[in-house]
Amino acid sequence: MSTRDATDAAQAADLLVTVATTLNERLAVTADELARSQALLREASDELMTAFRGAADRIVAAQRGADADAARAAEYGPVLDHLYRACQHLQSHDLVNQLIDAQKMRVDKMREKLLQALSLAAPPVSRPDQPEQWIERSRAMLDCIVAGIQQIDQDAHGPLGDKQRQGSVDLF
Amino acid sequence: MKTILAVDDSATMREMVTFVLESAGYRVIEAEDGAQGLDRATATNVDLVITDQNMPNMDGLTLVRSLRELRDYKSVPILLLTTESSDSMKAQGRAAGATGWLVKPFDPATLLEVVQKVLR
Repeated sequence: MSTRDATDAAQAADLLVTVATTLNERLAVTADELARSQALLREASDELMTAFRGAADRIVAAQRGADADAARAAEYGPVLDHLYRACQHLQSHDLVNQLIDAQKMRVDKMREKLLQALSLAAPPVSRPDQPEQWIERSRAMLDCIVAGIQQIDQDAHGPLGDKQRQGSVDLF
Repeated sequence: MKTILAVDDSATMREMVTFVLESAGYRVIEAEDGAQGLDRATATNVDLVITDQNMPNMDGLTLVRSLRELRDYKSVPILLLTTESSDSMKAQGRAAGATGWLVKPFDPATLLEVVQKVLR
């Protein structure tokens, strides 16, 4: 093997380091944005839940008080219908939260593997004039990144997106 | 008054289920996961259990199996209320002894219909 081969192999390994570093930086930004989205969602849903809770508690208490009075109880029906509709859609925050959790887990796992791949490139090569050493290093980094891609879905179960099945009922 | 145990690790979901059931005149006991649900069910006999599937400590299917081993819960209806909607998961639920499977997000009116039906 020539010195030229060693230089090419070293440049290829450097390119891999650049790609892994850039990808890791972009994923760090994504992780941060996911965390901010989740915080905003939590803040908004906390406010909505407080308002919903206030209305729900009052209607349930009023219904109990109006048990003996059918006419008054009937008046609460339409209010309850509105709260039921709100209830159905307030559940979305919970599902979106689960989706974000699943995405965060995927991003974190990929970042972990990219950092592991970058750590393989840290120690100096003992014989920089030998292309085999650079090739071996590049292969180890690629194996690490590929393993990260293959493991990305493990344990990251977001709610399924099958809208047709949402709200469905099966009695056995 | 019928008593229903609602098991879910999401406080929002528990609150939604409790509101809908209480508005229809049921008494509701809440639990945050399967393990706590099992404790609550053994401490108080309930008429119906509604449980989520994916929860820490003990999942919904394990809770169903554990309850079915108890003499008092051989025939008490148990509903899974979960985001899981695959046929294989439903088959596991059926094999574990669940009475029914509802996919989130639930429609309050449908939930009440199902509850009335299984409590009949």
